[in-house]
Amino acid sequence: MSRRVVITAASAITPIGYGQRDIVESLQQGVSGVKPLRDDGLLASRIHSKVFGTVDYPIPFDFARRFRKTMGPVANYACQVAGDVLAASGLDQEFISSGRLGVAFGSTHGSPTVQRDIYRTFFQQLDSGFSSIGAVDYLRSMVHTTAVNITRMFHITGRVIATATACTTGSQAIGFGYEAIKFGLQDAMICGAADEYDTTTVAVFDNLLACSVAFNEHPEQTPRPFDKKRDGLVVGEGAGAVLLEDYASAKRRGAPILAEVLGFACTNNGGDMILPNLEGITATLQLALQEAQLVPEKVDFISAHATATKMGDSIEAQAIAQVYGNRSPYVSGLKGYTGHTMGACGAIELICTLYMMQTGFLAPTLNLEEVDPRCAMIQHTPACMDADTRIAAIQNFAFGGVNTCLLIRKGTDAG
Amino acid sequence: MTREELQQAITAILVQDFEFKDPAPDDHLRDVHGFDSIDAIELLAKIEKLLGFTLTREEKEQAMVIRTINDILDYIEAMQQKRNLAKP
Repeated sequence: MSRRVVITAASAITPIGYGQRDIVESLQQGVSGVKPLRDDGLLASRIHSKVFGTVDYPIPFDFARRFRKTMGPVANYACQVAGDVLAASGLDQEFISSGRLGVAFGSTHGSPTVQRDIYRTFFQQLDSGFSSIGAVDYLRSMVHTTAVNITRMFHITGRVIATATACTTGSQAIGFGYEAIKFGLQDAMICGAADEYDTTTVAVFDNLLACSVAFNEHPEQTPRPFDKKRDGLVVGEGAGAVLLEDYASAKRRGAPILAEVLGFACTNNGGDMILPNLEGITATLQLALQEAQLVPEKVDFISAHATATKMGDSIEAQAIAQVYGNRSPYVSGLKGYTGHTMGACGAIELICTLYMMQTGFLAPTLNLEEVDPRCAMIQHTPACMDADTRIAAIQNFAFGGVNTCLLIRKGTDAG
Repeated sequence: MTREELQQAITAILVQDFEFKDPAPDDHLRDVHGFDSIDAIELLAKIEKLLGFTLTREEKEQAMVIRTINDILDYIEAMQQKRNLAKP
């Protein structure tokens, strides 16, 4: 069995806004979501990088205690965007609980906030004799907390795929959800990822000398994907969810078809855990095109992973040039706006791309002022411009050598 | 602590931490207030702090038959009495 898979709803909480209107406005106006790193009373003062892709606006979480008790901040994000896509979908409860709807959702490592609380309690009250670590702390912090809080809140009984591959968590969730529907295992999947404010992640990248430190006084000027002055990534927070459905079912029920997922590739470099790998990335981009049965010329836009590290951007640009030739599709690195939202980035960047396709424009890479000659062999989106993007590629790569590429086609073409 | 004082303390915990609305002593905790096994474990940790002693695993398992606030009070009194009897 091989079925067509379409996206029928999407929602994202990002450092540049919550929901389509705010996100599109930020992309069109070149607004950065990078702000000073918030103090956490623990690590922040020891970290060289003082910037963070920050969600600093109120979000109207309205979850009853019976749900909240098993949710950390990351699950709040996840359930909010999952609730949005279900509300927008119009799916009835009978289908939602039928076993034909599943969830593919992840985060980098559950809730670091809750994990930190556990250790704080443990070390501070080690001698008190009371079991002050809450019974639900594991449920709030565990690596699949986003996926199963979604299933619990909305009474979803289908399969659960909890991805946890760092920066490819979200793209894998969408890709694996796509495959579950394509091969007939589920009729619909809520897919996406979330990551919360967390200085541990910043400290990890800071220690690896991979974080941006040169723009601490001007957070909005970093990260700078593909730019000559780029000096590393900026960790961020956020969430994104899409509803994927079997095309025939979606059409039958009259669901709005926002886009079709044409292909997905996922590979591993089979070697180094950290360094980007030209062969592995190139193979992934080619594999996605093959799976989608597309020639490179058909792709109009590439959302690059482009974290703004020296080596990562350069290797990605080379891989794009190898696959697409000298006249590549327009390429933007959307992390220039949001920072690197870690596990959520694949979902958020796919949704930003979807919004640009729907609205009819392309946003350039924010902070790309002078293209690094080592990244100059591809066609960078020159400015915010009107564009009728029909097919787009969303590329993401992760620690551990995981590479993904998703190909989507604008909804009006699905038919 | 008298039974009335205990009831006040437990009711306060149920209202503040478990968001019970207008709890009555004989309400079925699960059916009326959605109280589940996870909540029971959380409540036992709070009871330990309130009473100032820890409960054994066996004692905690005995608490799993609790259905009402009155059951909670009976349970606490039994635990207190057990410890008082154990004192020399």
